[in-house]
Amino acid sequence: MSQEREPGFDRAVAAVLRAGAFGGFLIMLAGLIIRVLVQGRIPLEVERIGVLWMLATPVVRVLVACFLFFKEKDWKYGWISLGVLVILMLGSVFGIGEH
Amino acid sequence: MLVSVLLAVLGFVAGVLGALTGIGGGVLLTPILALHFGIAIREAIGTSLVAVITTSAASSSVHLQRRTTDIRLGMTLELATALGAAVMAYLVGYFNRNLLEGLFAAFLLYSSITLLSKGGKLKGGNGGLPENGEIPPYQPQRYPLGLGASLVAGALSGLLGIGGGPIKVPVMFIFMNVPLVVATATSNFMIGVTATASAIVYYRRGDILPEIAAPLAVGVFLGSWLGARLAPRVHSKVVVYLLVGIMLYLAGHLVSHLLRGLP
Repeated sequence: MSQEREPGFDRAVAAVLRAGAFGGFLIMLAGLIIRVLVQGRIPLEVERIGVLWMLATPVVRVLVACFLFFKEKDWKYGWISLGVLVILMLGSVFGIGEH
Repeated sequence: MLVSVLLAVLGFVAGVLGALTGIGGGVLLTPILALHFGIAIREAIGTSLVAVITTSAASSSVHLQRRTTDIRLGMTLELATALGAAVMAYLVGYFNRNLLEGLFAAFLLYSSITLLSKGGKLKGGNGGLPENGEIPPYQPQRYPLGLGASLVAGALSGLLGIGGGPIKVPVMFIFMNVPLVVATATSNFMIGVTATASAIVYYRRGDILPEIAAPLAVGVFLGSWLGARLAPRVHSKVVVYLLVGIMLYLAGHLVSHLLRGLP
């Protein structure tokens, strides 16, 4: 199962996750450092960007895997990835009321 | 300022323990945020999801490079985990605080039992390959059971702000006939997407506090980095007992908090 894929597939997905984790870490760290230096909204907004960066990472990961599956003509898993992407998007489409 | 430092330290400790035991640190974060930082339970759940996503991304990039992750299996089960997580993130508003705390205490007890019954064995699966470096050929079996369990794991993730590894790893390993190394790596891989499916809902509802999430995630990131490097050298039994001790303390604290909250 896991041996069938080309090594490039794993590497591409790993690169997305690494960029996501390191990028998010650096942005949030920057937010913390700015918090030491200045008060107010600026550090909060930087931290918010870090949070959104982290939330975007798995979405991009699914997107890249979906693209690669279709490129390898692995239709079944291409559609499965697309399904996961749709479920991920559900949360940002439907309005959410306060309970 | 002081709170940020405390949160970073908390994240760091949770990250080290999570990486050493392979259970992920998320299970410690929600109750500590709720019990000791005075954060509303729903915000504690949403906020720890960010730390859970960060750990998953960092550690699964390592597993992927070792080629121990079954991306196809992970993606398939993610259909169920993401659905369960997204739906529960909507429904969490209908659960009251007592019910959430009770569920969380039960999950902590369950995780403690899983950890103790496995001894330190999960750690070996989390780290390197088997001795000869080869993953034995396998074919995942019982997909309906795997998908069903994934739906439950996803729902718990969206409800409690955890990764759900203690459910997915045994199901893949015992019922789906997946080698433990692969089950651990694949569970880790799935956690990011699962947590994101619910985190998007929490974020839009305003239940993720960036000023809390940032120091926590920074600490968890550094802690799991260190933990992964310490893993081969640390006697895992001691760490398992330490983690179980903390989890039992938190479970007890949640139960006593719950009992005080009841009329």
